[in-house]
Amino acid sequence: MRRLLTVAALAVACGEGGGGDQPASAGARGDGPPTAFVVNYPLEYFAGRIGGGLVQIEFPMAGADDPAFWQPTAEAIRAMQRADLILLNGAAYAKWVDRVTLPSAAVVNTSEAFADRYLTVVGSVTHTHGPEGEHSHEGTAFTTWLDPTLAIMHAEAVAAAFSERWPESASTFGANMMALREDLEQLGADLRVATAPFAGEPLVASHPVYQYLAAQYGLDVESMTWEPDEMPSERQWRALRDILARHPARLMLWEAEPMAEIADRLRTLGVEAVVFAPLGNRPTQGGYLDGMVANVERLQVSANP
Amino acid sequence: MRGSLYLAWRYVTHHWIKTTILVASITLIIFLPLGVRVLIRESAQHLTARAEATPLLVGTRGSPLELVLNSLYFGTDAPEPLFYSDLESIDSTKLALTIPLYTRFRAQASPIVGTSLDYFAFRDLDVVDGDMFAILGECVVGARAAERLGVAPGDAVISSPESVFDLAGVYPLKMQVTGVLEFSDSPDDDAIFVDLKTAWVIAGYGHGHQDLADATAATGVLRRDSTTITANAAVVQYNEITPDNIDSFHFHGDIGSFPVTSVIAVPPDQRSATILRGRFEEGAGFSQIVVPSDVMDELLGTVLTVQTFVLAAAIIMGLGTLATAGLVFGLSIRARQRELMTMMKIGASPGGIRWLIISEMVVVTTAGIAFALALTALTATFGPPLIRSALL
Repeated sequence: MRRLLTVAALAVACGEGGGGDQPASAGARGDGPPTAFVVNYPLEYFAGRIGGGLVQIEFPMAGADDPAFWQPTAEAIRAMQRADLILLNGAAYAKWVDRVTLPSAAVVNTSEAFADRYLTVVGSVTHTHGPEGEHSHEGTAFTTWLDPTLAIMHAEAVAAAFSERWPESASTFGANMMALREDLEQLGADLRVATAPFAGEPLVASHPVYQYLAAQYGLDVESMTWEPDEMPSERQWRALRDILARHPARLMLWEAEPMAEIADRLRTLGVEAVVFAPLGNRPTQGGYLDGMVANVERLQVSANP
Repeated sequence: MRGSLYLAWRYVTHHWIKTTILVASITLIIFLPLGVRVLIRESAQHLTARAEATPLLVGTRGSPLELVLNSLYFGTDAPEPLFYSDLESIDSTKLALTIPLYTRFRAQASPIVGTSLDYFAFRDLDVVDGDMFAILGECVVGARAAERLGVAPGDAVISSPESVFDLAGVYPLKMQVTGVLEFSDSPDDDAIFVDLKTAWVIAGYGHGHQDLADATAATGVLRRDSTTITANAAVVQYNEITPDNIDSFHFHGDIGSFPVTSVIAVPPDQRSATILRGRFEEGAGFSQIVVPSDVMDELLGTVLTVQTFVLAAAIIMGLGTLATAGLVFGLSIRARQRELMTMMKIGASPGGIRWLIISEMVVVTTAGIAFALALTALTATFGPPLIRSALL
C-alpha cells in the first residue's frame, strides 16, 4: 500500500499519470473518489468548482472559529496523510502545517507562483478569540484571496495540481477553471467599481486582514485588532481616536457584524461600520461568490448612504 | 558390513581423544574455506541488498563510503550536513522523489532518523502496532529498538545529549512513541524515526518556550521595548511537545538553511537518474551524488581480496592438516598390527579387516563433514550480522 504512495509521489514528481475515464485515486485510500484536503474556505470553493464532483474536497477545519489558527488533532493529520492532495494557501497561512507531518508529494502551495507578492503585517498585537487561543497576525499577510487576481492564481494552481495528478480529467478541470475565472474576473471588476469611491481615502479595519484588497484597489487602510463580539477597551478606543486624528477614516471594515454598542460608539466618532467578510471560513448561508457579492453591495451602500 | 561398522564405532569411541583430534582436523579442513566463503557471500548479500534498493544518495563532498554507510545503516558518525535548500533544488528539477535523512542524534544506542513519510513507502515499512507519527515530537520505533528500549505506543523516548560535557549543547527532547514498525531484518529495526522537523527541534533550530509577554516569564527577559522582547538564557524551554505547548514551538531562520545529512533521490527511470547525476557532476558545488551499490561494491571488492588470501591460507593449512590426518591413520594402523593379527587368528578375513579400517575412516570423516556443515550453517545465520556490525 505504501509503495503505491511512493509510485504516486513519483508520478507527481515527474509529471506522469495513468489513463482512464475517471480520475484514479493514486493515494493510499485506493477506493472511492480521489481526495483533496484544503485549509480554508476559498480553496474549498475553488477546488469544488474545478473538481466538479470528480474530486472529493475535505475541509476539516470548517468547524474552527478561524481556519488559519486551527489546532489539528493527530487523527485529523493521519486522515490528511492518506489524502491524494493537500492544498495549502501559502503566505504563512495555517501555521499548524509547520508542526505536523504531511506527505510532501501530496502538498501543493497554491500561492507559490506569486510568493514575491506576499505582503507583511507589522506591529500586530497578540489577541484571543474563539477556542483557538492566543494568536498574532504579525508576519506575512495571508488573506491573499481578497485580491481577485490572486484568487485566480490560487485557482489556477488548484487546476494545475488536479490536471497533473489526474490527467485523464484535465479537460473537465480546464473547462471548470475557465468558468471560475470568468466569475472571479467579474468579481474583480465589481470590486473595482465598489471600492472606487474609497480609493485614496483613509479607512480603518477591525482586523489586519485587508492588505491584499487594499493593495489591489488602492485603499489606504489602517488596522486595529478588534473583535466584533467584544467591546473594545478604553485603551483600544483611545488608540482608534489617535489613528483617526491623523488618518480621518469615515468607514471601518469589519470581518463580521459588530455589536450594536460598538457600531453606535463608532458613529459618535463619525465612523460607519461596514462588513467585508474575508470568507476564510465556510459561510452559514450561500457560497463564496454570494458572500463576495454581498461585500460588494455593502460597500456600494456605504459609498452612497 | 554391520559388524565392521559396529567394531569401528566401538574403536573410535574407545580411543575418543584421537578420534576427537581427527574429527576436529577434518572439520577445520572443510569449514575454513567453506565458512569464509559463505560468510562473505551472505554478508555481501545483506550489505548490497540495501544499497541496491537505494538508487541515488546526495550528500556533501567527502567520503562516499561514509555517506553511504551513514545513510543506509545509520552506523557511522554523520557526515557534514547539506542544506535543506539542496533538497528543494533537486525537487525543483522534478527528476526524482527526494527523501531527506537527518541522522545526527541518538536515543541511547538507537539512531534517531529525521525523515519524511516517503521513507516508509520507499523502504516498504509498515507500522504494526500503533500509528505513524503525525504531530511534532512524535516518533515511530523500529522493531529491535522497541524491544531494546522496552517501549510501545504511548511510551516516550528521550534523545541523548551528544556529549555529557557539552553543557551548552542541544536539549534532550522527550518524544512520544506513536507506533512500532514491523520487523524488516534491516538497520531500520534499530532506529527511531521522527519527522525531519522534530529532528530540527532536537538540533535547536526550532523550540518552544514560555510566552515572553507573560508576567511569569519576567526572569527570562533580557530587554523589552515597544516591538521586541529579547530573552536571556534563563527562559524556560520545553523539552517535551504537548498539546498545551505545541503552539509555542517555532523555527528560527530560513528553513532552506536547516541541515539534512543526506537525501535519497528516487528517479522514476534511468534517463532521469542519468540527467540528475550529470547535473551534479557538472556542478562545482559542495555536494556529491553517489550510487550506493557502486560504493558498496568497492568496499566488497576490498573484502573479496582479503577473502582470496584467507582462502589460499585455508587451503594450504587444509592440505597440511589432511596430510597429518593421513599420517595419523597410517601410524594408527601400524600401531594396531598386533590387534589386527589377533583378529585374523580368531577368523577375521583380510577383506573384513580392510572394511573395519575403512569404516573407522568413514565414521571419523563423516563426523568431521557433519560438524563442518553445522558450523557453516551457524556461520551463515549469525556471521553476517557480526560482520555488518564490525564493518559499520
